[in-house]
Order: sequence, then structure tokens, then C-alpha cells
Amino acid sequence: MNRASVRILFLHEMRMLARDRRTVILALVLPLLVMPLMLYVVRSIERQRARSLKETTFRYALSGAEAGTVRRLIAARSAPGLRLEELPVADAEAALRARRIHFHLRALSAAEAAALEEAEVEVSRRRPREEAARPAGVPLVEIRFQGDREESRAGAAAMREYLLEAARSERDRLLRERGWAMDPADLFRLERRSVAGAAQAAGSQIGKFLTLFFVMFLLSGGSVAALDSVAGEKERGSLETLLTTAARRSEIVAAKQLAILCVALAILLVNVLNILAYVNFKLIELPADWEIAIGPAALAVMVALLIPVGVFLSAVLLSLSAYARSYKEAQLYFFPVYLVSLVPAVAAVLPGVSLRSAIVLVPLANVSVAVREVLAGRFDWPMIALAAAVMVLAARGTMRFSTRMLSDERLITAADLDAAAWARGPALFSRHVFAWYAVMAAVLFAAAVNFPQLRSFRTQLLFNELVLFLGGSLLMIWKYRLPVRDALALRRPRAAVWPAVVAAVPAGHLAAAGVFRLADLVVPVPQRLLEQFGRELMPADVPAWQLYLFVALLPGICEEIAFRGPLLYGLRRRFRPATLVLVVGVIFGVFHIALFRLIPTAFLGMVLTALALLTGSIFPGMLLHAGNNAYAYWLARRNILVSEWSWGWYAAGAAVFAACLYAIYRARTPYPGLRWAGAPRE
Amino acid sequence: MNEPVVVQGLTKYFYDESRGEVRAVQEVDFACRAGEIFGLLGANGAGKTTTLRMLATILAPTAGTASLLGHDVVREPEEARRHLGFYSSSTALYPRLTARETIEFFARINRYPAAQIAQRVGELIERFGIASYADVRVDRLSTGMKQKVSIARTVAHDPPVLIFDEPTVGLDVLNALELQERIREFRAQGKTIVFSTHIMSEAEKLCDRIAIIHDGRILACDTLDGLRRATGTHYLEDIFVCYVKGRE
Repeated sequence: MNRASVRILFLHEMRMLARDRRTVILALVLPLLVMPLMLYVVRSIERQRARSLKETTFRYALSGAEAGTVRRLIAARSAPGLRLEELPVADAEAALRARRIHFHLRALSAAEAAALEEAEVEVSRRRPREEAARPAGVPLVEIRFQGDREESRAGAAAMREYLLEAARSERDRLLRERGWAMDPADLFRLERRSVAGAAQAAGSQIGKFLTLFFVMFLLSGGSVAALDSVAGEKERGSLETLLTTAARRSEIVAAKQLAILCVALAILLVNVLNILAYVNFKLIELPADWEIAIGPAALAVMVALLIPVGVFLSAVLLSLSAYARSYKEAQLYFFPVYLVSLVPAVAAVLPGVSLRSAIVLVPLANVSVAVREVLAGRFDWPMIALAAAVMVLAARGTMRFSTRMLSDERLITAADLDAAAWARGPALFSRHVFAWYAVMAAVLFAAAVNFPQLRSFRTQLLFNELVLFLGGSLLMIWKYRLPVRDALALRRPRAAVWPAVVAAVPAGHLAAAGVFRLADLVVPVPQRLLEQFGRELMPADVPAWQLYLFVALLPGICEEIAFRGPLLYGLRRRFRPATLVLVVGVIFGVFHIALFRLIPTAFLGMVLTALALLTGSIFPGMLLHAGNNAYAYWLARRNILVSEWSWGWYAAGAAVFAACLYAIYRARTPYPGLRWAGAPRE
Repeated sequence: MNEPVVVQGLTKYFYDESRGEVRAVQEVDFACRAGEIFGLLGANGAGKTTTLRMLATILAPTAGTASLLGHDVVREPEEARRHLGFYSSSTALYPRLTARETIEFFARINRYPAAQIAQRVGELIERFGIASYADVRVDRLSTGMKQKVSIARTVAHDPPVLIFDEPTVGLDVLNALELQERIREFRAQGKTIVFSTHIMSEAEKLCDRIAIIHDGRILACDTLDGLRRATGTHYLEDIFVCYVKGRE
């Protein structure tokens, strides 16, 4: 990429945006004018409302057997600032509906209350009372008001407080009369005190919403520039002119994206300064005990987390703008994209969501949670690093996607398909393969969470292995007319491969245990979690032969079909072999749901993918996969804990395993149709 | 081959739901010499624009090759574009830039030597008679003024190859004549010019060689005299009809 070209294009973009009246008004002038105006109007209305309520004399009617008691209670207390007037009315309910009174106090004796509750049992069942249940023998004072009328609501609320205080005073008076020596208020004093510092508590509150607001402002601000950037240029016809210059597509994308990011950040800054100014002038009031203190480490981590978010969102906006055929169409797409982007950003608001969960792998959601943790003073470094890495990868992916979008001929021509989309079949499958596995993963997660029937050992495995993995793979083969033999790599490997694979089973298991121990040093896995996992995977009530069938044989066949079948076939021309091993391995790991299993299962997935690439066949992988699972189960039944062995064993296992792989490499019959260095991406 | 523009077996298919597979350009071959105006003559939808867009690297060929000054349009698209000035009725200007800023931007982005840009911009403003509105924003210029700025931005980086795709569409007679005059000037400077049109008189007056394109295929390619000899007719309109009818 030529930096000089990017600089020229960036300055050009910024100049174009600065001269666009629409951008300047929407981005800068509007927030500066609208926000104070809005605040002024809201505060004026609030003040007017408060004044009006203060000056209101609340008219009420009093009825029921206990009306006298309530009247005496009201008369006995002075209510500063509260103007009350009892109106004698024949039908209080009619007077309330006719707005002659603001509320109606129905003071019922215990017997009347019981009869009423009996009669209204159906109503109260449907509409539960907000007050605590009435003990037997206690009279009831019901404040009846019109919930759709502001004054009626306010009057009822004021009267409720007034009567509660009156009832407390009356109770205290009675206690003193009956010889209670001390003031009831002196029974004990109650205080709440948070052990977290004020800054930590405020940080936690701010952290919940910081990423959400960042995403909101960035998207709304960036959209002003993004929609004009490609969709607007397309409409004006200047995009074709730009595409015929010596600038590379990647340079154009980088410059446009930088411009979008700058505009978005500028708008964000304007809005933040705007809000700070209002806070300073007391137009916005913060809670009294708020103390905002962000240390340099927290600030650095937040910047490191939020920059990729900015890049990611600007790439999303640019892709949207490139995808749309006109400015208007881009505006139409913006709102759904905006809403979808906000969903993961609210992750920090959800109760109980921890960074040490699968959320760390979800872009935006991981940053949202990480920022909350950092602002609350909790630095879980491995998880923060993983969240940042995932976000950087997502940003890089979307940048590449937006570059591809800008190279799309749809930008220029009226054709709405390309050769692969037209031909459908295997060429199109290669493009859709990620979407298929994303849907499969979503079904796997959704089924595990929402269907209790699938939570038992057998049903869950049968559903995952047979329906999802095997069924899903066969569905892909059928839909895209994939050649079965090639898509499933049904080829016979050389004979020398088999003994190497058999020897690789225990050696590979030891090596994987070593990897797990290493990973445990970085991301420690709670023992409780491991024990729970062991219990779930090896329930005591399932016979051994069934366990071998469900834990070893089924996954060995079905998972190999799913991951070394259509997935590997679909991606074989998209990535070079080393990347292919990594990508398929990680996808295999992600499908094993639990975060603590990600590294070992991804490692196993990479080994199995490498095996498929070396032998060009699915069968050795099936043997290794089933053998590994069966061996693990066999060891567990005998209480042989490989995870507690010395590092020497792991090293020896790794050495034997490497030797096995070398033997397989010597007898290799490579997977056909791979993309080697220099070959174009499919 | 030393020709600045070489096209061999160039093919382009489009696909869409309503029309299916559209064979816009099929195995087109031609080569253009330095200092020549090479005309692509064809009716609307014949494949002229698609061919030229492939030459300008905006579209990728389905098959075949094309090169500009030896740079393959697929393998070295940036280098190919560096030596190319592309003008068409669909390549618009930036409305919020002034004429001067437009020429300067295109010189810079096409990597014209930075030290000489100011001088080059001044020369072009002078040569194309833009001086009186050089600092006026493009969106306030008339069509004729915009056309001059467009030509100036096309040659801002002094490219040896120029593509004019139906450049006179939408222009009045005087502006069209002025444009033709400019194109002749560029030829006199030794530039290679690929010129597409569906207007017979324009091709007749301007082009040194003419390729007749129909349904995505080149039916004939020769000088006007050569085409006359081959068909036994005098006027280009008759020559065109002769080839197209013969094909059908």
C-alpha cells in the first residue's frame, strides 16, 4: 500500500466532507444546537410541571367505615407544601371520573376489606397489588386515582407518603403510650456502605454503557461520512472516475475508512464535550457520590480495545455504503445495521455476563464487557488480550471485506450476480461455507440453551452428531451438488499411514494434555468446571459400550464428516494450507462450546485437518479422532490422570507424535485442489 | 508486439437473475499504435463500454488478456492505470472541488511528479481556457465548462494512452466539435487514443482505424479506406450495415 496515495485520498475525502453542508450540519451544528435546545425544553417543562403541582390543591373524597379515623389522621398532621381539600360527594367514583376530585380515599374496616378482596379475587389475580398482603383484622385504606391523569397520579402519590408518615407517627405514639421507653427510631441505625471505592462503583456504572454509547455515536457520526463516501459517489458518478486512477482499491478503502473514522471520532468528541459542558453548567446533573478516576493503565487498555471497534464499525459502514446502489438505499440499510450493532454492545449491561465466557469471542460484546471490567478496576489480562485480538481480527476481516466490496463489479455494472452465483454449485458453496457453519453453531448453542429435552447425555449427542453434523453436511452436499467423494475426501490413504495413526493416538493425547496444561498457565480452568464436565460426559448410569459409542465412535465419524468434509472442501481454495489448518481447527474448537476446551479442541482440530491434508482422506482422521476420545475415556475409567503427569511425559508424547506425523508425511497423498503460494484466492 | 494497447481474446460475461448469462464481449482482438486514434464503432449495447472498462481495469475479463504499454490489466492494474487517461460520459467530476483542485488531485493521485504538478496544472488551465473559472466549484459550472475540466483531469498526469468512451454523448454541436479538436491535438502529441462511438460521422472524421463491434464481437477492423474496399461501399453507415446485416 502506498502511504502517499492514502494521504492524498484521505485529504481529498476530508476536503469533500468539510465542503458538504449536509455533513457539517448533521455532524456538528445539529448536535450543538439540538442538545441544549432539547435540555432547555425538557427542564422548562419539568419546572413548569413542578410549579403547577406545587400550586395545586388536591381535592379528594373520603368514604368507608374507617373514614373518621383517616380524617383524624390527616387533620392531626401538618403537611408543608401539600394543599389538600376534602370534598363531600355522593358518588366518589363518579366524581373521580368526572375530574371533580383528584383521588378517592376508601377507608375500609377489616371486614369490609376482606369482603372486597374476596369479590375482587379474580381482578387482583390478574393485576397484583403493589402493596404487601394485608394481615387479617387490619383495616384497608385504598387510594383510588386516575393513572392516566398527571395531577391525579401526583396527588395519590403525595397522599400515600403523607398517610404512611401519619401511620408511623400514630404507631410511635401508641407504643410510647403503652410504655415503650425509647424512640422507635433509635432501635438501630441502618447504613449501606460499598467496599468498592466511589471511583470503582462509578467506573462500573459508566463501563456498562461506555461501549454502547461509543458504538452509537460512532455509527451515527460515521454514517454521515460513510453514506456519502461510496453510495454518494456512485450516485454522482465520480466513483468510476476514481477507480480509473492509479490508486489501488485497498488505498481507496483505507483512505475512505480513515476519513469515516476521523469524522466519527470528531463527532464523538463534539458530543462528549457538549455533554461535559452541560454537566459543568449543571444542565445535566450527575449523581452526588460519583467520582470518575481513570488511571493510565485503564485508559491505555480502553484505547487499545476501542480503536479496533472504531476500525471495525467504519469498515462495516463503508461496506454498507459500497453495497447500496444509491445514497437512499444506503440510508435504508443503515438503520438495521445500527440496531444489529447495538445488540452485542449492550452485553455489559446484562447481569452475570463475565469476560471469562464465550462472550470473549464475540466482537463488540467482548469489548463491551472488557471495558466495564477495566473501568471497575478488574484487569483480567489474558481475557482482555484475547478480546482485543478477536476485535482486531474482526476489524481486519471487515476491512478486507470492504476492499472486496469496492472491487465488486456490481458497483459499476447493472449485473446482480457473478459467475459463481450464477453457476451455483460448488463455486458458490465456497463463498457460503462460513455462513453455513455459523448457522450450525447458532443452532448448536440455541438448542443447548433452549431445549431441556436435549440436555441429557444421549439426546444431546445424538442431536449434535447425527442431526446437526451429519445431517447438516449431507444437506450442504445436496444443496450445492457437491461431488460426494471429493467433498467427503473418501479416498484410500497409503497403508503406511495406518500404523502411524494408531501410534499417534496415545502420543497425541499426551501432547494435547501438555497443550492443555500450558494453556492452563495462561487461562486457569477451575477444577469445579473440569469435574462437572467429566460428570456430564461420563454419566454413571450409561453402560460402557454406549459411552464408547457416543463419546468415541459417533464423534469420530460425524464430526470428521462435518469438519474435514464440506468445511475443508469449501475452504480449500480460499486459504493456503497452513491457514486452512488454523481456520478449520479453530472452527472445530468453537463448536465445542466451553471456552476452557477451546485451545485443546482447536489443537486437536488442527492435527486432524493436517492429517486430512496430508493423506487426502477423511479415514485416518476418523481413526485418530475416535481413538483419541476412546483412549481418554479408557484412562478416565481407570482414574489415570494424564493431566497430572510430569512435563517429561508430555515432551515424550509430543516427540512420538511428531515422529508419527513425519511418517504420515513420508507416505503422503495430498488433498487435491489446495491453494498453494502464488495461486489466486477463489 | 510494440503496440501500446494490445487486446487478445478479451471476453466478458455478465450474469443476472432476469437476463441470465449475458455475453457482453466475446473474444475481442485488436491492437492500437502510438499516435493513432482507434475507433470502436457499434450500436448501443454492442460491447464498446464493457471492452473499454476492461481496458481501464474497472471490470475483470472473464477470459483473454489486455495490456497497456506492456502492463497486463489483470496482473498489474495500478501500473496500467498509471499510463491511462479514461474519459466517458459516466465519469463525473467531484462537484465540491474547484476546477484547479480537480486537475491537481488527479495529477497527484496518478503519481505525476510532485514538483511539477503546479506547473502542469497551470499549463492545462491555460491550454483548455479554464483560467476564468479555475477557482469556481465544479457544481457551479456549465456543461461545456465541466467538459473542459473533465478533459483536463483526464490528461492531468500526461498519460500516453487515452480512452474516450462515447465522449460526445449529451454535448451540443459546438462542444462536441471542440472535443474532437482536442482529441486530434492529443494524437498530434503522439498519444494512443481508443475512441468509442455509435455516431458514424464522428468515427469517419476522427479515427485512423475503425473496429466495428456488434453483439460483443469485432466484425471488421481496418482503415476507413480498407473497409470501403472490403465492402465496396463508400459511406461508413453503409459499411456498418453491410457488416452487421452480414453477421445477422
